[in-house]
Amino acid sequence: MLNKIYDWVDERLDITPIWRDIADHEVPEHVNPAHHFSAFVYCFGGLTFFVTVIQILSGMFLTMYYVPDVVNAWKSVYYLQNEVGAGEIIRGMHHWGASLVIVMMFLHTLRVFFTGSYKKPRELNWIVGVLIFAVILGLGFTGYLLPWDMKALFATKVGIEIAASVPFIGEQIKILLAGDSTILGAQTLTRFFAIHVFFLPAALLGLLAAHFIMIRRQGISGPL
Amino acid sequence: MSNNRVSRRQFLNYTLTGVGGFMAAGMLMPMVRFAVDPVLAKKGGGDFVLTEQKISELTEKPVKVDFTYEQVDAWYKSDVTDNAWVYKDGDKIIALSPVCKHLGCTVNWGGDKKEPNQFYCPCHSGRYEKNGKNVPKTPPLGPLDEFQVKEKDGYLMIGKVVPNTMVK
Amino acid sequence: MHKGKGMKFVGDSRVQDKKGQKVYPPDYSEYPGKNEPFWPDFLLKEWMVGAVFLIGYLILTVAHPSPLEGQADPTNTSYIPLPDWYFLFLYQLLKYEFASGPYNIIGAMVIPGIAFGALLLVPFLDRGPERRPLKRPLPVAFMLLALASMIFLTWESVANHDWAAAKRQGEIVKEVKIDEADPGYAVYSKQSCINCHGDKLQGGAGPKLIDTGLSDKEIIKIAHDGVGTMPAGQYKGSDEDLEKLAKFISGLKSE
Repeated sequence: MLNKIYDWVDERLDITPIWRDIADHEVPEHVNPAHHFSAFVYCFGGLTFFVTVIQILSGMFLTMYYVPDVVNAWKSVYYLQNEVGAGEIIRGMHHWGASLVIVMMFLHTLRVFFTGSYKKPRELNWIVGVLIFAVILGLGFTGYLLPWDMKALFATKVGIEIAASVPFIGEQIKILLAGDSTILGAQTLTRFFAIHVFFLPAALLGLLAAHFIMIRRQGISGPL
Repeated sequence: MSNNRVSRRQFLNYTLTGVGGFMAAGMLMPMVRFAVDPVLAKKGGGDFVLTEQKISELTEKPVKVDFTYEQVDAWYKSDVTDNAWVYKDGDKIIALSPVCKHLGCTVNWGGDKKEPNQFYCPCHSGRYEKNGKNVPKTPPLGPLDEFQVKEKDGYLMIGKVVPNTMVK
Repeated sequence: MHKGKGMKFVGDSRVQDKKGQKVYPPDYSEYPGKNEPFWPDFLLKEWMVGAVFLIGYLILTVAHPSPLEGQADPTNTSYIPLPDWYFLFLYQLLKYEFASGPYNIIGAMVIPGIAFGALLLVPFLDRGPERRPLKRPLPVAFMLLALASMIFLTWESVANHDWAAAKRQGEIVKEVKIDEADPGYAVYSKQSCINCHGDKLQGGAGPKLIDTGLSDKEIIKIAHDGVGTMPAGQYKGSDEDLEKLAKFISGLKSE
């Protein structure tokens, strides 16, 4: 039955080559930790992606309870952490995942740097990777405000002031981020929420797609 | 030789599916538990709320009694005002929920001028008899719910909603 | 197995040579027989690493519940903010003289900007064909220098932060009804206690006085002799009043 459905779809869309291409492409031995243990450094990229997937999933579930509003944000976080079943685990996943993804990405960047893998023809993939790094740091910064607790508010205040120190357009950047020239409050929270949940993830998905397509085009860099 | 190779590949496939399933389960189990929490949550409440209705002033004619209680909606606490249709049936006090069993509109006593001794729902002309029994051939599918009632110092107290006990 | 009907795709990401046949990337095609298919051979190893990682990850989340401080209160002026750990080096950088005050722009924009720009443009700054770290000393030296300074700055900011105060200032204070008519509260507000411990005993410069877990005697002793940063001799009143005060404070328990 399933086979028939598959054949019916395949006849129209020719999907077999797509997955066969992904499944059958050859991976060289030198990146496989089962052959040389030192090759575990090649796992950091995959683990970064794994944590990113967990972040996206746990984030989706968190928004089932979270409200981006100055009155209710903290209360809803307190509620989902302390009252909802497995709430502590889900928020923990998202909270610790934010740190882990940065650790993993950092290690991945260092691996690529020290193996010289950014060299021709992979310059563009390195640039996309550094942009992903920036987007992830942006996600970390905007996500820090969302629980609306003491450290969130005051750390973000400092962060926004740093953005405001950009010459000439600093003030405009600050207002754009905070939604107000003096208050860090309701509008800041909704803006950060939108950036954290829609804008940056959209950018991240696009960049990740570019990253992976380029890896498939160019292959993993050869052994040193 | 070739059989051997196929079985190795199958073995790898099974192991891979197993490991993948383990990872998916490890990730998704807490998330699903998190999402279905409201389904599993036990609804508290059922506390009796004091109204301003004197028991001695109740008659056989249903009157609308308002009562206010604190509703805890996850992180949001609010005072909610609800009402009930209360009347005396002999010595027994009956409090009926005004929520129509058809689509949740609010019923009124004698709301239909042609049927002054029935509850009437204006949304789809649903009608109920005085004991809450739905009149056949009108939209509602069941009788009106009932509130548990109690008396305190001559005043009426209203408890939680239970299915109608008078209509069989 | 080939089920394709030879249709052409738009935007196909698959790697093909000019004849439309799959080719292996040139880098490791000279190692035939040492490659293995992505599915299932390679992915199995990758996922095993992932599964071990996930177990550690879940243990971490269960063992260390994610922190949540008290609800944001913009009127609290004594709060000392601290960014998340991965921004600590930037935070520390802005404390130095050459990167603050009139030179704030250097610490906040120029240095991070140069660092990020350099990272972004690495492939164009280091164009030689060599890939081994030892054969390209300059880029590697710069990267190690950057790493060392980030680690140093992070270390400095952690060592210089008052973690006990940070914990105290962020605590979720359970609301306790303070009976301001209590004779103990009258003593509390008349003495200097209220200045440091707050009008609702919620704390301020000093710690909160709710749920202290102290006995009357211990409170009386602290009022006379001080404790921690609290100097001795803060209480200047009758012993009788002090007993009322001690009783009032020891009786303050949330729930």
